Amino acid sequence: MSNLNAAVPPAAVIPVTGKGKPARRRPGIGKSLSIALLILGAVGMIAPFLWMFTTSLRDASHAYDLPPQWLPAEWDWSNYADAVSGPVPILKNMFNSAIIAIAVSIGMIITAPMAGYAFAKLEFPGKNTIFVGLLSSLMVPAQVTIIPLFLLMRTFGLLDNPLSLILPGITGALGVFLLRQFFLGLPQEIIDAARMDGANAWQTYRLIALPLAKNAVSTLGVITFLGSWNAYFAPSIFLNSTETATLPLGLVLMLGPYGAGNIAQVMAATTIAIAPALIVFLVAQRWIIASLTQSAVKG
Amino acid sequence: MTTTTRTNLSPAALEARRGRPDRLSSVKRRDALTGYAFTAPTIIGFLIFVLGPLIAAIYLSLTKYNILTAPKFVGFDNYARMFRDERLATTYGNTVLYVGAAVVLINGFALLFAVLINQKLPKAMTYFFRSAYFFPYLVALVYVSIIWQALFQKDTGILNYYIAGLGGERIDWLNSSEFSKVSVVIVDTWRNLGFAMLIYVAALQEVPKEMVEAARVDGANEWQVFRRIVLPMISQATFFNITITIIGAFQIYESVIVLTRGGPGDASRSVVMYIAEVAFNKFDMGYASAIAVTLFIIIMLVTLAQFRLRKSWVNNE
Repeated sequence: MSNLNAAVPPAAVIPVTGKGKPARRRPGIGKSLSIALLILGAVGMIAPFLWMFTTSLRDASHAYDLPPQWLPAEWDWSNYADAVSGPVPILKNMFNSAIIAIAVSIGMIITAPMAGYAFAKLEFPGKNTIFVGLLSSLMVPAQVTIIPLFLLMRTFGLLDNPLSLILPGITGALGVFLLRQFFLGLPQEIIDAARMDGANAWQTYRLIALPLAKNAVSTLGVITFLGSWNAYFAPSIFLNSTETATLPLGLVLMLGPYGAGNIAQVMAATTIAIAPALIVFLVAQRWIIASLTQSAVKG
Repeated sequence: MTTTTRTNLSPAALEARRGRPDRLSSVKRRDALTGYAFTAPTIIGFLIFVLGPLIAAIYLSLTKYNILTAPKFVGFDNYARMFRDERLATTYGNTVLYVGAAVVLINGFALLFAVLINQKLPKAMTYFFRSAYFFPYLVALVYVSIIWQALFQKDTGILNYYIAGLGGERIDWLNSSEFSKVSVVIVDTWRNLGFAMLIYVAALQEVPKEMVEAARVDGANEWQVFRRIVLPMISQATFFNITITIIGAFQIYESVIVLTRGGPGDASRSVVMYIAEVAFNKFDMGYASAIAVTLFIIIMLVTLAQFRLRKSWVNNE
């Protein structure tokens, strides 16, 4: 008997249980369980932001009172007023961040589509070598170039100057890569037809190709803006006064060592600082997700 | 060869022969000029702000340089010094821990939530979950760290409030040598898992439903379907995510500054923080460059490995 049992191939058992009724019922339970898990995760993602916002509306002296409040009991905006009039010039910092982010985005949406178009649609000696070289710059972490860049900026007197962040930011391989991908997908006939009609290379690009790339260019602009707005590493090294500081630096100053700053005001300022990300998120989430995931999945 | 045959032809025939190629080549030349003009700003930016500084960093790593006097060539002294530097060992050790934790936790949670989200759910629900998980990724790491350091406070933070409420002991999240690292890992995972999740969701949607159905009909259970069919099909996304998380975690910087300032001691300090300290507080530019070059080599190898492996053992349909 025991021999017989051992001889039954285990594989033969699997189809029976697989086709049985319990397997059918499982999705129902599985689904509610997974929705519960997803809700739990989402609560974990949203709660810190909710706490930030609620705390920003609380009386500063009660900001740390426990139990925590999850919904604002009072709508007291005075922390916002206090935050912007405090010792750290948050408004000026925000203005600095905005100037840099806007300049960098404008530069990028001019230079990257042009280069991306050239790499996709024009022939010139050394094209592939140059492209691979550019692409390999994606492997160079900012930490390895920061010391020479610091010395360069110091030599040209650009330390503590927004130009130290704008100039390196207006070109970049990632944008070129994204736009090249887009232009590669553009049918060659469209380009040829424009050339036949007597348009020169610039006109073909400016009047035909670029308008078709509107979505890709907007996405690049938004990504570049957020990247600059969120940047901390290079600004923390190139800028060293509260007047020239960008918003992330200003907020860290405001927080103070070991979180000693007025937390209600810090949360008010953080709420303001997060607003652009929230706006981008509400307006452009779909494009950004599409363009970010595309290159990874389709490679 | 061509020149000798050409000299045998009459000037007129030569002209006729050259006519077509010449016109073509002038178009080609103009095309080439346009190509160079269009790429010029990007190439110049690349040379000044990436390639030049990279070469300079490699050169500086072979020198002793304190900004005030000219760099002095010292060969591989800086690299030899690294092996004796205990603080470097500590900070690199912390960083490798952050990298390991990021790879496992970010990818684990991202894949779990991606599989859950990829089920047939009401559209609004899918949209809501996707948005909720992705939003932290758009917010600067500094800002999320500022929020979290308040949540992590030992006596006033809400995390400990709930832990105590459940009967647990209050944890010194930011000032104990173990938990300061845990805090950094939590914030890193929390912020980045949404992006990795979106990559996984996009990949899961490309898995042919017929294949999954066929396997189910053949009697495979959910785990077998996932393990034998889904996982191999999304291997490219897995690879991409792992590479991105490794590169990102090696560069961890501002979250540690805001949360723990690297402390206590060096318990949570990352290697990038150490580079910045050596370079911009101690002005030991040569040594800092050498450490930075090691970081560059690691990131380059990881990226190249991804390119190579992606071609070989990744299912590349």
